[in-house]
Amino acid sequence: MSTRLVLLWLLVGLPLAWGVWRTAASALRLFQ
Amino acid sequence: MLLDRAGTVAPPGYSRWMVPPAALAVHLSIGQAYAFSPFNLPMTRLLGGTDADWTLAGLGWIFSLAIAVLGLSAALFGSWVERVGPRRAMTVAALCFSGGFVVAAAGVAWHQLWLVYLGYGVLGGCGLGIGYISPVSTLIKWFPDRPGMATGLAIMGFGGGALVAAPLEVALMACFPSPGVWQTFLALGAIYLAFMLVGAAVVRVPPEGWTPPGWTPPQAAQVRGIPVAEAIRTRQFWLLWAVLCLNVTAGIGVLGQASPMIQEMFPGRVDAAAAAGFVGLLSLFNMGGRFFWSSISDRIGRRATYAIFFALGLALYAVVPLAGNLGSIGLFVTGFALILSLYGGGFATIPAYLRDLFGTLQVSAIHGRLLTAWSVAGVLGPVLVNYLRAWQIGRGVPPAQAYTVTMYIMAALLAVGFVCNRLIRPLEPRR
Repeated sequence: MSTRLVLLWLLVGLPLAWGVWRTAASALRLFQ
Repeated sequence: MLLDRAGTVAPPGYSRWMVPPAALAVHLSIGQAYAFSPFNLPMTRLLGGTDADWTLAGLGWIFSLAIAVLGLSAALFGSWVERVGPRRAMTVAALCFSGGFVVAAAGVAWHQLWLVYLGYGVLGGCGLGIGYISPVSTLIKWFPDRPGMATGLAIMGFGGGALVAAPLEVALMACFPSPGVWQTFLALGAIYLAFMLVGAAVVRVPPEGWTPPGWTPPQAAQVRGIPVAEAIRTRQFWLLWAVLCLNVTAGIGVLGQASPMIQEMFPGRVDAAAAAGFVGLLSLFNMGGRFFWSSISDRIGRRATYAIFFALGLALYAVVPLAGNLGSIGLFVTGFALILSLYGGGFATIPAYLRDLFGTLQVSAIHGRLLTAWSVAGVLGPVLVNYLRAWQIGRGVPPAQAYTVTMYIMAALLAVGFVCNRLIRPLEPRR
């Protein structure tokens, strides 16, 4: 169960983290 | 059957922490709706930029239609979602949403705009509405101790979905022969179908009478379950409808106009690239606010949380024009970032507020009816921002000051919202 739990959180967490990282990188342009 | 509610009761040992990522898989997918704009320009050049090509104004209706159908389908299918359970509802949402992409891809390939409206707008919009409400009551039942945090996490996914979809769409379009729109639609349909079906496969409902180990419901929280037909006849429902509508109105207009607004308020100091950064920053605060404020609401209560939304929002809208006059970009950006966190928080905290007032019996169905407030705000917010700006400029007001009246009107709307929230009282016990 715990392996499935970790995999499931990674499945949704990784794309979300990628989207946040891309957006944060674009937000930084505001301060340049 | 495999999809029925009875077939999805959790077996012993099932961790309730499996449910939030299952809900996130659905909300991250349907959150793509807020990232439709990368397709707009390529879709005006499908025939090589001739007069027969589609116009931006015509394409703008795809998104508007999808959001309008989201509100309508959430209201129409809310009771059905409650009856059949989360797995069947998520599966249907996945089929509608990805099916919408397939029909829209055909519309693009054959250059039939009505088919794109029908596919993405109507069919996809039904997927949005059903998908949006499908995990709500399940999450609330699994997390009676933290309903705000649990539903906030899922609804945060809806905000985050756009952050994932926008760069994904650009990358996919670059993989196909230019402009690559219909191929990208098909690819997105396949990706989202798989992603949402994982959520549907994993989700489980708790056994009847289940509570988290070591948790006893506080006496004050023992709310009787109210059927949707009864709930929508209460004063509390309509006050909450007004609360959601006013809170969303105050944020949604700004979200749509953020880029031109900051460029007009600080002419020569903020270029298009920096303005795009501002839009990105607002999206991050919109998303983060969904989790932050809904989690806070579990500690301080829903009514107090909304009181903060309205009081803080009102103060910020009153101060932001001052930031423009002072030429302080930092103050302006901070003000709007906080306003957008309140906007996101308003969406994410509403299911737990409904649970507090009406119980868990038909909370998804009641939530679905309440989302019609979103549809109304989706029209009201942009109209207030766009038309008031145009009216001010028509009267000779410089563009840098054209938003001042709008912001004071937003502050006034939030004051009304504050009063509506104060008027919400728990339901009288049934005699």
